[in-house]
Amino acid sequence: MLHREPSLPLVAVNLWYHVGSKNEKPGRTGFAHLFEHMLFQGSANVGTNDHFRYLQEVGGVANGSTWYDRTNYYETLPSRHLDLALWLESDRMGFLLPGLTAEKLENQRQVVMNERRQRVDNQPYGRAMERLFELLFPEDHPYRWPVIGWMEDIEAATLDDVRAFFSTYYGPSNAVLTLAGDFEPAAALASIERWFGGLPAGAPVQRVRAPLPPLAHAVRASMSDRVQLSRLYFAFRTEPFGSSGWWTAAVTANLLTDGKSSPLVHDLVVDRQLAQDVSAYVYPTEEVGAFLLVATARPGVDAERLADRIREHLDGLAAPAATASPRSALGSGLDGELERARRRTLAGIYSELQTLDHRADLLSQYTTFFDAPERAFHEAEAYEQVDVAAIRAFAAARLGPANEALLVVEPEGVRS
Amino acid sequence: MSAAPSSLPDRSLPPAPGRESAVPMPDFDRFATSRGVPVFVAPRAGVPLLEIELQLDAGGERNPAQRPGLAAMTASMIDEGSARRTGPQLSAELERRGGTLSCHADWNAARLRLQLLASDLEYGLDLLAELLYEPAFPQHELDRLRQQTLAELKRRADQPAAVADEAFAHHLYAGTIFAHPLAGNPAALDALNRDELLDFHHAHYRLERGAVTVAGDFDRARLATAIEAVFPASAPAHLDSRSEASAPGGPAETSTAGAPSRKLRVVVVDRPGAEQTELRIGHLGVPRRHPDRVGLGVLNTLLGGKFTSRINLNLRERHGFTYGASSRFVDRKSRGPFVVSSAVTTAATARAAQEVLGELRRIRTEPVAPAELDATRNYLLGVFAYGLQTVEGLSARLDEIALYGLPLDTPARYLAEVAALQPAELNRLAETHLCPDEALVVAVGPAEELMGQLQEIGEPELWSPSCAAI
Repeated sequence: MLHREPSLPLVAVNLWYHVGSKNEKPGRTGFAHLFEHMLFQGSANVGTNDHFRYLQEVGGVANGSTWYDRTNYYETLPSRHLDLALWLESDRMGFLLPGLTAEKLENQRQVVMNERRQRVDNQPYGRAMERLFELLFPEDHPYRWPVIGWMEDIEAATLDDVRAFFSTYYGPSNAVLTLAGDFEPAAALASIERWFGGLPAGAPVQRVRAPLPPLAHAVRASMSDRVQLSRLYFAFRTEPFGSSGWWTAAVTANLLTDGKSSPLVHDLVVDRQLAQDVSAYVYPTEEVGAFLLVATARPGVDAERLADRIREHLDGLAAPAATASPRSALGSGLDGELERARRRTLAGIYSELQTLDHRADLLSQYTTFFDAPERAFHEAEAYEQVDVAAIRAFAAARLGPANEALLVVEPEGVRS
Repeated sequence: MSAAPSSLPDRSLPPAPGRESAVPMPDFDRFATSRGVPVFVAPRAGVPLLEIELQLDAGGERNPAQRPGLAAMTASMIDEGSARRTGPQLSAELERRGGTLSCHADWNAARLRLQLLASDLEYGLDLLAELLYEPAFPQHELDRLRQQTLAELKRRADQPAAVADEAFAHHLYAGTIFAHPLAGNPAALDALNRDELLDFHHAHYRLERGAVTVAGDFDRARLATAIEAVFPASAPAHLDSRSEASAPGGPAETSTAGAPSRKLRVVVVDRPGAEQTELRIGHLGVPRRHPDRVGLGVLNTLLGGKFTSRINLNLRERHGFTYGASSRFVDRKSRGPFVVSSAVTTAATARAAQEVLGELRRIRTEPVAPAELDATRNYLLGVFAYGLQTVEGLSARLDEIALYGLPLDTPARYLAEVAALQPAELNRLAETHLCPDEALVVAVGPAEELMGQLQEIGEPELWSPSCAAI
């Protein structure tokens, strides 16, 4: 994908591989992410640590990230160095294995184990999402394990695993390359052809398919953690990213908790002071979506009481206006709430579109998932199409007790 | 697309760059209203967004000694109700327009920051003037925010990184207002009353001693007219009706915060059973306006300010002790900290600390190779444009100019100074401003393991988390 935007002499280079933690197997988790780290360890013509060195010494900003469905690699740099980025990306796409050593793998295994400790194990509530997804997704479903993987699986990864993963998933046929920024399209195409043209396409990758219907009945669990405030994690299965049902879920999340005047923040945090914070959001996942609602209880507030009040709001949203329970403001007046959610979402979209990184990433995303890059710059329209009726129908179908997964995190017993 | 290329490219060396194109400098300007309010502007057309900030000399450094948290609470209360509207009415109206308002104090300033669609310029300025001149400070909202802040302090005590930051400040700035968390401590929050907020507001929310900054898509003449209308020549009566002599909170007690400890000090904060250790190593840095500040930015970038910096490559890529390690000089009007931060494998805490101290010593004694300086210099010169992509990025630079009274052409001066810096100067800066042998080392993790391990660095003092957090 080529997106020209020459207002600054910068170019964003963004590469998506359609492989993520969902391509792993239980017992071998965390591999897609560990592999992402190995891609920064050099290739046939690029020394260890030289990927970052080459990019940073010309003023580039670079990183990568792994998600359930995909792994991305990206850099934004002064546009005159476009060929440098293409050389680096093509060298690791085509010639990673000659640079691979057991020593590098061991080093990055230690780095990733520290990443897991820092982000998950040594964080308050750090393991909650992992536990929640075990509730939300059945045994062997590919979203059931965390992207970063289980510690013992990270420890077990071998060099052969790295080689096999590379051969299976990192060919051009499983990748999308996007440039956004200041370049001359014909020259950029010629450069792309020069660096990537000779790479063998690789065998097509069979996409993992793992759609799920709503839960059949409510599931819940509780866990204790080194925390002082209880926290609730609600999760509901939704339609997958990009579907109209997913957009409705996204608007509903913003409608409920985006901004101080949003009904849940106003009621739970400001008015009744049951919660320290509350926020709802959706996961942009490809197989099945997830609507999440997380609320931290105020000290001394019973988690069940907070959960009940949240359910009253969700019920109020689901009920037809005429018969709505007077106990929630969401029984009526949804038009105004929707207007707020839309406007703020629109402002957020404008704001995000300012950066070349984000534009490039959107183009890669819509191309990878739907082969529809044109949808990248029409997210605002997708939001605009969601109306009150759709929100009520979504709440009735998806946010009810039958589809509810709830994890309650409670403080550990009083510490000495 | 065309067929495969006729010849394979030479991959053995990085390709040569194309022709350099100039980065347009941001178009910063300033003017003053008839009442003497400084207005800083950074126009950026193309995206219909605006960012407006009222910057007031009412930051945490103005906290009275007995009231840590007063500045932060006053700022948080600003949008909780005005003489005209309740807090919920204010936020509902703003948010229905798609706007976002943040009222908070950092150490340097109180900031009423508004992001909104460009068409709402006049509405936004009206709103900010209402908040500035007519806050109601409702008692029930104060009670609520007090409880919320107390709960937030509890929650921070659960977060090892936050505990480490607070313990570091607690010991580095002992005896000054900067030793406390910005949000205050439980005793001060319990005691805080509405009159203190009113007095603090009266004394320090003076726009003529602060600034208005506006970045984004606006018409200059329309902006000037609108600003003149909301911040008129004579101040609203209630602001002038009280004497300034009753003002609580003098200038910051920075003079006492200047002396580094004479020897290396090691503090362990116990977190039993922790999976990792949060490490902080550092000492006092320089005020933002220090003439060495730009050079120190280059020094820091080379040392710990980018992925390929010495400290990150050492701790992460060479030793695998951590997911990442970085250093920074924190900017304040007074001396902010210089601090190296990392979360490391507990068993390697002492080794990681030794490596950091070793890097600080090495850069003071060994000449920096010109190629290493060039790589850092070119990084900083290159990433400069990256920060200009967004209204937020422009606004951050403009806010800094307004806050510290820097020249409007600070960006161009910065680039010129970075381009001209010599390797020998880097060593001078390191010798002058890095003090590894007088550093404060804070480790938050299992004391059982850390107390013995850290003996090799210095005699560790053991602190309980509750002390560190207060």
